[in-house]
Amino acid sequence: MGQFIISVGREYGSGGHEIATILAEKFNVPMYDRNMLDQMAERNGIDAEDLHKHEEMKHRGLVRTVRGHSSSVQDTIAELQFNFIRDKAASGESFVVVGRCAENVLRDNPALISIFVRGDEGAKVERVSRLYKLNDLEAKAKMFRHDKKRKAYHNYYSKMKWGDSRGYDFCVNSSLMGVEATAEALYEMLSKFLKEKGQL
Amino acid sequence: MFAEIMAIVIFVAMFIMIVWDRFPKHYVTLICGALASIFVFGIGMRSSEAFLETIAVQGIFKPSFWYAAGESAEQTSGVNWATIIFLWGMMVMVEGMADAGFFDWLCLKIAKLAHYEPTRIFVAFMVLAAVLSMFIDSITVILFLAAVTIRLARTLKFNPIPVIMAEIFCANLGGSATMCGDPPNIIIGTSLGYSFSDFVVNTGVIGAISLVIIIVYFYFTMRGKLQNPNDKVDPSTIDVDIKIDNLREFLISTFIFALAVVLLVTHAMTGLTVAFIGVAIAAVTLIASGRKALKLLKRVDYFTLLFFIGLFIVVGGLEQTGVLVVIANFIAKVSGGNVHVMLAIILWISAIASAFIDNIPFSATMIPVIKSLAATTGLDLSTMAWTLAIGTDIGGSMTPIGASANVVGISTAGKEGYPISWATYCKELVPGTIIVLIVSMISIYVRYL
Repeated sequence: MGQFIISVGREYGSGGHEIATILAEKFNVPMYDRNMLDQMAERNGIDAEDLHKHEEMKHRGLVRTVRGHSSSVQDTIAELQFNFIRDKAASGESFVVVGRCAENVLRDNPALISIFVRGDEGAKVERVSRLYKLNDLEAKAKMFRHDKKRKAYHNYYSKMKWGDSRGYDFCVNSSLMGVEATAEALYEMLSKFLKEKGQL
Repeated sequence: MFAEIMAIVIFVAMFIMIVWDRFPKHYVTLICGALASIFVFGIGMRSSEAFLETIAVQGIFKPSFWYAAGESAEQTSGVNWATIIFLWGMMVMVEGMADAGFFDWLCLKIAKLAHYEPTRIFVAFMVLAAVLSMFIDSITVILFLAAVTIRLARTLKFNPIPVIMAEIFCANLGGSATMCGDPPNIIIGTSLGYSFSDFVVNTGVIGAISLVIIIVYFYFTMRGKLQNPNDKVDPSTIDVDIKIDNLREFLISTFIFALAVVLLVTHAMTGLTVAFIGVAIAAVTLIASGRKALKLLKRVDYFTLLFFIGLFIVVGGLEQTGVLVVIANFIAKVSGGNVHVMLAIILWISAIASAFIDNIPFSATMIPVIKSLAATTGLDLSTMAWTLAIGTDIGGSMTPIGASANVVGISTAGKEGYPISWATYCKELVPGTIIVLIVSMISIYVRYL
């Protein structure tokens, strides 16, 4: 079996994370999201939350760089995660990775298949309201806040813009068929492709 | 008037761009330097003489640039080539030392001598950071010290964050003690004609007093955060590999380092200028490194050297147009001629400015200001020079962006999964910086006034 890496970028509320989880389960490969910092936190004997609160975030406030070193915690945590993704890819392991500019970090890796999941606003609001028990207005505000943060983070560290179809192999609207059916369709399509390539 | 306005506009724009950190700093200063050459010296002043005086290339070809009997200013205005050449030489030497494994060996040896006890390592590494930074640039010191600290922290199960923050502070403090410890000191020394020993007996003494006080302060404020008592590791079970891969290279690099220290300590007696010492040390390093010479030369941070060239041209524009004299007169007026107030202004303004902006352009700008102040108020120039050096060197410790060592330390820790946020950093190091600044101010008042 050859190596394959599936990166899943996503809009907040689109169910991208759930789709990534289903794909990882079906392909029986590990999935990396914010858990990639847990290992580091355990090794260092620190609370993982100390790392999580700075991840997937563009640096804020005054920052200074010296010979490639940045004073920003967000920059160093991003670098830490990019190195984690690169190391995993270099090890030959197949995996699914959620966000973290993975499609940019591994853009020259032939094993990469990049996906971006978007959704209709109404469907996303409904999903966020249901999951977090919020009213529509609160759900919309939360969605806007998270997407703004993700976009700023992605566009700062990546060559291509967040959600721009030219930066991904597949862009999909999860609201059309629903999250689970989208995941199923992606699995069917990808497993056929990978089998044809002899990677599965 | 056009020249003065353009000099100020270009200077302010350069500072904003440096703080913004959007573009490489050397591009910023070189472009601003080019603009200053065109608009200040060319269109504004129409003076090729002022431009040539600022570029100051002809000075390099004078024998006094390399050998100066007695104390004299190696460069009075414009591009400070002595600083640039000296820094280049030291960068070559440090690359050679790093390549030979000198720093790793030294840090681990000291940890072993501290019996792998976290609190002892904490104190020992503070002293080591200060001592090494007296002779080597603080970026290199912190790069190695922070990496070794993290390695030891994982083995000995202690929290490296307080240790790294204390190392950063002490590296900046150690840098203030000598002429070659921090770039502002080299610029001050070469511009005003002070020797290595002048710095040691002035800023060095203040630095030593401050180091003792700060070690005691950090010991009491940080030791509780070092290690959970349940995580204690039996030192006898520790197996850290302290080995030298290439003994010949190691001994040569140690010898070259010792030679650099001797040449610097004695340069007022021998008459060898820092530019000469820089070139000599680089030459010895390159000859000794043989086939690796090209690799060492390639690793030198030329961007920083280019940054200096552009910076000196922009500051030269301010100096030639007389803007800095206006600033000096303003300081004299605000202080009402009171020497205590004047020194306090220089110390605290330098410190606060250096906490947020690069201390190199700040000190380069302030040198002509204090020269002018000395001429107009009669206050001893050297007293102001030591005050400026301490203010710029120590003030940089106050924030994560204040000095290069801070950035490198924070980044090294973060990349290994030990985040140091602004809040964490400032909570520990702002009080420490204020304590040292107060100690320094009292020392300056007692000793010089």
